Amino acid sequence: MSGTTAFWYASRATGIVALLLLTVVLVLGILVNRQGRLPGLPRFAVTSLHRNISLLAVAFIAAHVLTAVLDSYVSIPLLSGVIPFASGYERLWLSLGAIAFDLMLAMILTSLVRGRLNRTLWRAVHLLAYLCWPIAFAHSIGSSKDLQHGWMLDLAVGCALMVAVAVSWRLVSAARQLPRAGRVAALLAHHGAAPGTRGPQERISR
Amino acid sequence: MTTTVNEPATGGAARPAAGLPRLLPLVPGLPEDLRAHLGRYGRPPYRGGPGLLINAIQAAGLTGRGGAAFPVHRKLAVVAGARGRKVIVANGAESEPASHKDDLLLRVAPNLVLDGLQLAAEAVGASEAYLYLHPGHHPELLRAFAERSAAGIDWLQVTLAEAPPRFLAGQESAVVNRLGGGPALPTFVPPRVSDRGLGGAPTLVQNVETLAHIAHIARYGPRWFRALGTDTEPGSMLTTVHHAHGDSQVIEAEMGAPLRALLADQAEAQAVLIGGFHGTWLPISQAAATTLDNQALKKHGAAVGAGLIAALPADRCGLAEAARVTRYLAAESAGQCGPCLNGLPSIAGGLAELAGPRPRRQTRENVERWAGLVTGRGACNHPDGTVRFVRSALKVFARELTRHEQGRCSATNRRPFLPLPQGMPTTEDDWT
Repeated sequence: MSGTTAFWYASRATGIVALLLLTVVLVLGILVNRQGRLPGLPRFAVTSLHRNISLLAVAFIAAHVLTAVLDSYVSIPLLSGVIPFASGYERLWLSLGAIAFDLMLAMILTSLVRGRLNRTLWRAVHLLAYLCWPIAFAHSIGSSKDLQHGWMLDLAVGCALMVAVAVSWRLVSAARQLPRAGRVAALLAHHGAAPGTRGPQERISR
Repeated sequence: MTTTVNEPATGGAARPAAGLPRLLPLVPGLPEDLRAHLGRYGRPPYRGGPGLLINAIQAAGLTGRGGAAFPVHRKLAVVAGARGRKVIVANGAESEPASHKDDLLLRVAPNLVLDGLQLAAEAVGASEAYLYLHPGHHPELLRAFAERSAAGIDWLQVTLAEAPPRFLAGQESAVVNRLGGGPALPTFVPPRVSDRGLGGAPTLVQNVETLAHIAHIARYGPRWFRALGTDTEPGSMLTTVHHAHGDSQVIEAEMGAPLRALLADQAEAQAVLIGGFHGTWLPISQAAATTLDNQALKKHGAAVGAGLIAALPADRCGLAEAARVTRYLAAESAGQCGPCLNGLPSIAGGLAELAGPRPRRQTRENVERWAGLVTGRGACNHPDGTVRFVRSALKVFARELTRHEQGRCSATNRRPFLPLPQGMPTTEDDWT
């Protein structure tokens, strides 16, 4: 393995790890949105896991882009990491990667200043995650010969399945959720203290 | 004493009144129009610039009369010290179902409240003013608006805004959220609304009674204000007293007044709810021996709150009353914070069982455990206030609870005592 091929291998490896991390980040994000829990973890820990793994994913993506640029076998300009269609090599697939990375940067930057943004704006930007993951996935499959066969293909299919399950669960769970104003009434009825039921006084037997 | 009526002021000049009532009209229940108001108090004494009134309010030691008893001058100073657009809100959305002192004040002395609003607006340099209250008939208020506008005595134009009929609608951040066009839901603090309120502007939210006191302090000064009340809690306050015989009345009382002077028929009462539905039950013996100030009430875990004093007749079941009110409070949870959303209905269900015959042994323990689990874990103090009410009820009505466990109940009258509104919020519209 020469110095140049080391970059090439590193780029392929970090790219695959980044795909795995992004899958985990998306699933955790859905879990946070639905106020779900992971066994043995309090709810705030799920949120911080989502945040920290997304930062880790960005670090891996940065390494993925840099090593691809530094590799001298094919010429990929640095700017093509963030600007679509700036690369001659694998023009379409690398552009998808750049778009996905840009979307991630938008989500991370708005999250860092979340306290100063209004919630609707932050949320709108964050919803881009559902666009970002498929684009990143397409970039991975399209530009990586590794992912197109064998156990790596199984891995990619596994990621896609996880995302599909998580997204379906999110949609079903959101559709089933009572509106905020109705939740209390439902819980009161559940605990036998619903208004309109006979008051405790009337139930006193003498 | 609490019932002194002083001589009507004559000559139209502002002349300080010596005793009570300070806020209510000299002729009980007779609303004062602008002419009568100006005759009794004169025009609002504007200071000619922001900040100038705040020292007098600090010297007077005025605390908020909406329930939290927060030092008024501190909120004023924060907003006065901010730059740019500032907002002031007179909070008349009295949401305690058993309290009607703010409503009465707005009917009989609207001009005193509006004077206070204008003077406070000048003191903080506000650029927008709102009067926030429950919809309903306030013809006296509309008349005061028209008369003041014709007389040109206002520093700032006031916008009327409506509050939804929710228990939490008057909570400071809920007020700001409602004025911003959203539902009247409380939000997490910080930021305090005095730092970042309506549309991001520093916002002063003051109870209408507090504003009426400000109007007095501006006219007569801190020394006059301190002539009534205790050293630490000067002045007077409006209370809503529910007597055991069933009547209720608004009484303006001196801070530190003995509660027994306010309660007409202690012999018929078994316990007194003090402060509001977020308040504390005291046995009648303790209540009759204490005074209307936080220093004294604190010893019993109670506070003057929004000025509710409700004496429960001896022929009712305290647990049944507590269960009814707790059910109402649970239903009024904004449903935003998990501990409140899940905890209060559980607690309400537990109390409903305790109020019935032969409750299970573990139910009381469960209620106490759940009470501990929700305390301090809401965006607003709704869970904490509800737990305060529930815990004091379990303590004060402990003997009744033992009877219920034996399948008996001492109540001979099953009619509900404390007033509760009908219906509960089920849709988002109920909060706007």
